[in-house]
Amino acid sequence: MADRAAGLFFKAAAAVSLAVLAFIIGIILVKGLGTAVRPSFLFGRPQAMKEGGGIGPMFFSSLYLTLLTTLMVVPLGVGAALYLAEFSRDGRLVRLVRWGTESLSSISSVVFGIFGMIFFVIYMRLGYSLLAGALTLTLMNLPTVMRVTEESIRAIPWSYREASLSLGASRWETARRVVLPAALPGITTGAVLTMGRIMGESAALVYTVGIFVRKPPLSPLQPAAPMAANIWHLYTEGALIPDWMRVASGEAAALLVMVLLLNLGAGALAGAIRKKMGILH
Amino acid sequence: MPCEADEEEVRGVKVSREALLEVMEGESDLPPDDEMEGEKDLAQGNKMELSGLSLSYGGKKVLEDISMPIPARSITAVIGPSGCGKSSLLRCLNRMNELVDGARVEGKVYLDGEDVYAPGFDVVGLRRRVGMVFQKPNPFPKSVYENVAYGPRLYGVRQKKVLDRIVEESLRRAALWDEVKDKLGSSALALSGGQQQRLCIARVLAVQPEVILLDEPCSALDPISTQRIEDLLHELKEMYTIVIVTHNMQQAARVSDFTAFITIEEQGSPGRLVEFGETEEVFTNPRKKKTEDYITGRFG
Amino acid sequence: MTSQLCPGKMAGPAARSWAGGPVNPFKGQREAAIRWTLRICALISVVGLFLMVAFLLRESLPAWREAGFTNLFAADWNPGRGKYGILIFLVGTMAVSAGGLMLGAPLALATAIYLHAYARPAWRRVIGKGLEVLAGIPSIILGWLGFTTLVPLVRSLAGGTGMGILPASMVLAVMILPTVATIARDSLDAVPESFAEASFSMGATRWQTLRRVIIPTAWPGIAVAMILGLGRALGETMAVAMVIGPATAFPRNLTTPTHTLTTKIMLEMGESTGVHRSSLFAMALVLLALSTLLILLVRLLSRKAVQEFPGGVLTC
Repeated sequence: MADRAAGLFFKAAAAVSLAVLAFIIGIILVKGLGTAVRPSFLFGRPQAMKEGGGIGPMFFSSLYLTLLTTLMVVPLGVGAALYLAEFSRDGRLVRLVRWGTESLSSISSVVFGIFGMIFFVIYMRLGYSLLAGALTLTLMNLPTVMRVTEESIRAIPWSYREASLSLGASRWETARRVVLPAALPGITTGAVLTMGRIMGESAALVYTVGIFVRKPPLSPLQPAAPMAANIWHLYTEGALIPDWMRVASGEAAALLVMVLLLNLGAGALAGAIRKKMGILH
Repeated sequence: MPCEADEEEVRGVKVSREALLEVMEGESDLPPDDEMEGEKDLAQGNKMELSGLSLSYGGKKVLEDISMPIPARSITAVIGPSGCGKSSLLRCLNRMNELVDGARVEGKVYLDGEDVYAPGFDVVGLRRRVGMVFQKPNPFPKSVYENVAYGPRLYGVRQKKVLDRIVEESLRRAALWDEVKDKLGSSALALSGGQQQRLCIARVLAVQPEVILLDEPCSALDPISTQRIEDLLHELKEMYTIVIVTHNMQQAARVSDFTAFITIEEQGSPGRLVEFGETEEVFTNPRKKKTEDYITGRFG
Repeated sequence: MTSQLCPGKMAGPAARSWAGGPVNPFKGQREAAIRWTLRICALISVVGLFLMVAFLLRESLPAWREAGFTNLFAADWNPGRGKYGILIFLVGTMAVSAGGLMLGAPLALATAIYLHAYARPAWRRVIGKGLEVLAGIPSIILGWLGFTTLVPLVRSLAGGTGMGILPASMVLAVMILPTVATIARDSLDAVPESFAEASFSMGATRWQTLRRVIIPTAWPGIAVAMILGLGRALGETMAVAMVIGPATAFPRNLTTPTHTLTTKIMLEMGESTGVHRSSLFAMALVLLALSTLLILLVRLLSRKAVQEFPGGVLTC
């Protein structure tokens, strides 16, 4: 009897968890998707004082920032993971790096944001810019990329490396020609999931990139306003725009769709790579 | 010297291989014999030589004072009970044991008279000259073609035509060409276990090694695949010096010209060489009591 | 025994064609250069961390110097009059995190137990994927959703503004749900199958087995899951900021506006100067100290777990 009750209870809990997810996605899409899918909204000019504004520059900023950050964080993270997994022996340096990475991954994004503001924006004189934001997000997402990459590198059978080294390849040749290609599905998944996190980030960007722009930024040294940060702008100062609730709802829906596409696309992409490589698992 | 008895055996196996192929495929396609004939008359000698070789992992001795020759263009089998360090011995020959933390080698290993453990000796070059085939087939998760082309590419071969030729020739020598020539572009992981192991042999042949080390290459294979690999070894020894580690004494007796027997006194003590000689001699008329006991199955 | 067998000279190297080219003489140097490049990549996270701590210290120095320790940890916040007490925000942070954990952790644990012991493979996959998706939903979206649905609901039920610790805790509960559930599931899964089999073979029901064998064995992992969930709640900014008020006052009850460390930093960093601004950096340092404390706790737990049970879980 108690056993039956326990089973029902846990089943109900799982159902609630799933319902919470469905509720979140459902409400956001119901309230905003109708607005978000209109080209005049998604690619349109924003308005500061009157109705009917779009989020074109914000949409562009999000894509730009995500791309810029990914281009920095993925090579750095893969390089660092490669060092930890293939080129180092467990020593002081490796322990230091692991400790640093672990600490970094526990820090709040708003703390990254204000560090980015004093260091990149002010100290390095980058100003509010895509570059300052991308550098901040690079530091913030480095631990994740490193962890995912190292896991996928370590999952590769030792026999591949042995075969390569026994054919006279050096460590780097082995890493480049055998280890990295075999780890590619895992690394890709990690990279795309990280893109989702970058696109959804707001707290670290308010004081590094900016929250409102009228025109799409062209240079990485220009200020920008990614969608997530712009929703914050609408929440705090949006009351100046008569239809700010509509704009924010539409922007939230557009952001959610982008993030979901990245999250769900990550696995599919990895699967496609695996299939192409003929890895059968 | 491997003499008449061995030639007989070579022919014997070849006959059985042809019969087998006829059963399996209806026809046989042996690589042209004359291709290898020309090299047969080259001087025989010792391709490699071990002198007082000891190996320890993290302070624990695994092998002690091994001295033996590895005659050129013949097959040397290393046999012994499991845990006697025969695989470790093999890895000393191409310095693959260096990849294990805390491995230490004493003594000398000569390749063409040069000590491979001498300071400044080019390890990468050594592994090019001394190829290795592992216990479990370990093709890369790449296409059949890319697996074989891997080594040549490392050494800077870029022209497609040259690579094509190397791939075909290596696969032919590994007696795999006919089975894979229509699927060179598909994944090597889709091949059967026996085909994968022959692919690994082709991959080694593609870098034109002088010595090929095989670490129990058939232990993960079915009897038919095993037979094909053994046939292949017979053909390859015309051109290469081969060392094979095996726990299967019938296999050692069937394929090898020379046999080294290594054993341990008790669990945890280092492996020592008990006897080295022509396979015929070692199996029919061993000089040491221990060898006889092992071969007749009366060991420990 | 050695050389008599095959007398004569050593055989020369065989004729070689394609593989006979010289080995690249710069290979060793190239290898070393690559090693150093990769090492630098690995060190960036450490350098970044040190820079971060250094700059936070530097920026918060005026606050420590001019306001002083007792002033900073007082309950009185009024930068206009030189009062920089952060106690209100510290309490706010603690309250919403504890609330989030209390609401979220039971649901997460129950979901983890369902996934471990009851779910069929298809459901296990679906819900596992669902948790991944939930973890990926941006906090600004959860904040926006809280602001547009939760706050009006709380307002109609409890009156007032509808903002405060209750809606903030509810939003945080959703945020930590995937973190706690996946880590707890993984540590339940890490309990050796043989434990459960032994229990079943003695006639125990599934629930008895879970309660008496599996959950106690996986307990350190579950504790780690909750600590990491707490860490995520402590640092959360946007989702909390949109539903908590804000107001610089201790909350009278669960539905009156207040502030947390993160929301205070976010809202005032742009418009503060001097010691006021510096005290916001001091808050960031306090946050940093809190999360470091949690990490140390996780380390302690997992070290203990490894010591007592190398399989990754701890037997109690």
